Amino acid sequence: MRKTLRSRRAIPYLLMAPGLLWLLLFFVIPNLQMLLFSLSEGTLRTGFTTPPEVFDWENFTGGIDQFSGNFRNSIVYGGLATILCFLIGYPLAYSIAFKGGRWKSLLLFMVIAPFFTSFLIRTISWKIILGNDGPLLGLIRDGLGLVPANFSILGTPLAVVGGLTYQFLPFMVLPLYISIDKVDRRLIEAAQDLYAGPWRRGGAIVGGVAGALLLIALQLGLGYTSATGEAATLTGLVVGILIGAGVGGVVGGFLVSQSFIRVTFPLSLPGVFAASILTFIPAIGDYVNAQLLGSPTTQMIGNVIQGRFLTQNDYPIAAALAFILMAGILLSIALYARLLGTEELTGGTA
Amino acid sequence: MNDLDSLIRKAPVTRRVFIQGTTLAGVAGFLAACGAGSSPKPTSDAITGPLNFANWPAYIDLTEDESSSPTLTDFKAKYGIEVNYKEDIEANEDFYATLAPLLGAGLDSGWDIIVLTDYMAARVVRAGWIEEINAANTPTAHANIRDELKGLAWDPDMKMHFPWQSGATGVGYNLKSTGRDLTKVDDLFDPAFKGKVTMLTGYADTFSLVGLLLKAKGDISKLPADMSYEDAQKVHDFIKPYVDSGHVRKFTGNEYLQDFGSGDTWAAMVWSGDLASSGGEDDRFAFPVEGTIIWTDNMLIPKGAKHKGAAEAMIDFVYDVKNAARLAAWIYYISPVKGVADEIAKTDAVLAANELLFPSAATAKNMFPQPALEDADDIKWADLASNLEGA
Repeated sequence: MRKTLRSRRAIPYLLMAPGLLWLLLFFVIPNLQMLLFSLSEGTLRTGFTTPPEVFDWENFTGGIDQFSGNFRNSIVYGGLATILCFLIGYPLAYSIAFKGGRWKSLLLFMVIAPFFTSFLIRTISWKIILGNDGPLLGLIRDGLGLVPANFSILGTPLAVVGGLTYQFLPFMVLPLYISIDKVDRRLIEAAQDLYAGPWRRGGAIVGGVAGALLLIALQLGLGYTSATGEAATLTGLVVGILIGAGVGGVVGGFLVSQSFIRVTFPLSLPGVFAASILTFIPAIGDYVNAQLLGSPTTQMIGNVIQGRFLTQNDYPIAAALAFILMAGILLSIALYARLLGTEELTGGTA
Repeated sequence: MNDLDSLIRKAPVTRRVFIQGTTLAGVAGFLAACGAGSSPKPTSDAITGPLNFANWPAYIDLTEDESSSPTLTDFKAKYGIEVNYKEDIEANEDFYATLAPLLGAGLDSGWDIIVLTDYMAARVVRAGWIEEINAANTPTAHANIRDELKGLAWDPDMKMHFPWQSGATGVGYNLKSTGRDLTKVDDLFDPAFKGKVTMLTGYADTFSLVGLLLKAKGDISKLPADMSYEDAQKVHDFIKPYVDSGHVRKFTGNEYLQDFGSGDTWAAMVWSGDLASSGGEDDRFAFPVEGTIIWTDNMLIPKGAKHKGAAEAMIDFVYDVKNAARLAAWIYYISPVKGVADEIAKTDAVLAANELLFPSAATAKNMFPQPALEDADDIKWADLASNLEGA
């Protein structure tokens, strides 16, 4: 009797054991190792002095100092990619959930279909699409003559952000779809019965401001104002803001209904939270897109960590940078969760 | 579609980056943590396969349909062993980084022959990571090596290395894209090519060649091999604005071949034979008027190589004059073997006059070696280069 009771109590631990062991072996131990490296001195060639002989905090402060530009690139490109993914992904997920009908599974399959191809091959095909002899330049340079002969998209922030947006779009769409699909249709009908009509004036204002802000973020983040790839100028900025505000206003005023703003969107917030985190984290740490599509000025912090580890064999700095990145991501997620509120995270009370 | 296929097949950079990124970081950290392990097992003279041969892209002869290499086929037939020939070396520094954790920990690198440029070969020899080549197994190589390649400070008696090929670093360009012939290093900085220019990773080539440009301008007084850290700083400061403005799109290893193919690179710092052997019909190489960098890539047998006998057989095999001539004729580099010029002249007078294979006296006079730095300086220069490369 006592024996069975004890063994029953042990069952949850037994069930957890494989996962915990996995975490211990492949997360906790490597991280401790990294922590030791991040406080060490030397390179592979000169040999390392590890704690407790030295505690070199200089790796952290110096690392931030020397590579602040790469951190900035990571945050800006990762953030822009997340915003763009959201803008593309939300209408997509919404349409699949509400208008997909019997095509739902096929449409969802098409969203994840690119995953059947290797990440690298997808990035390399972007190189071809954006490349000098690719279809995009073929159209705007050779076809329409909008840009000069030596204009390139490859090697610019636009290429990197575009690549990131493409790569991580499914991470955005799937969680969004799940939470939008869960929304109870009867609530929307009830809202419509209670005179929730088009959003009109409120939508136009909110949409206009959002559109203007997005264009500012894009122009400053990418350093572009015009199609010809000139650096940001005031006129370009103003034109961009006007275009963004106009498009946003039209979308907000004519396409968005009050039932969406008051019912569907709030109920899908847990999905928005999960999706944006799932997109932002891999995007900020990515180094393949910047390596293949970018230039020396668009290298992200992942590229530095990779280079320090594998080319310079400078493990201490690389480990310190990896820790800073990890801490930064954890911190920003905590902040984000705080802002969105915890009850939305658990699905709300609706 | 063909484009995509060949790109994917020819995408060693991405493959390397990815494999390193996922596996090597862990392995390297683990090995470094373990410290030096046991010393590798001694290797025998027996010729056993497979011979694991790491070389650079566009560095071996191919048949008409590019499906196999006559040199390797003949070697296999002669010795009855397999050759696992991989074009895994894109840049000295990157390949060194894959070797260092293994050889540094006293482990087998998995390669039987590797090919590294002088300064890097000297570094791995100094580190004690290289097997001695048995002279008894390499009589042809000892007999046929060109005299001026002997007597290097880091290996005066050819105990550790034999040259694979020599070549030059100069200016490569696509005539159709640039619309004119390039003749100078300075041409790389023509505003018309903004965003379509690439240089080479690391300091050995880029800093040397731009050093020659600055010397021609009068900003630096020394030749590349004698440049001080201050001179290197000047080179860095000269290139930096071109990187920031996006003029220099990228620092590459051998993958510039793909970028020429896709039209994304119009003008670049390249190695002499590649565009002639593997580029398009409009791709050209120029020995710039400011001067050219000359270097030699060397075959080395890493410590603990499992098939040392086969590696020595290969070294001896490629020093046979006929084999060497066939190789040089395809890859357009400077052969280290005596008598190759005569051998090629017998069948192809045009090729025998090709400057890429046999630089004229005037060109040779304008060729200068790379700096050979000790470890402390090397790290400082590498930091300058990595600052330019952005990561």
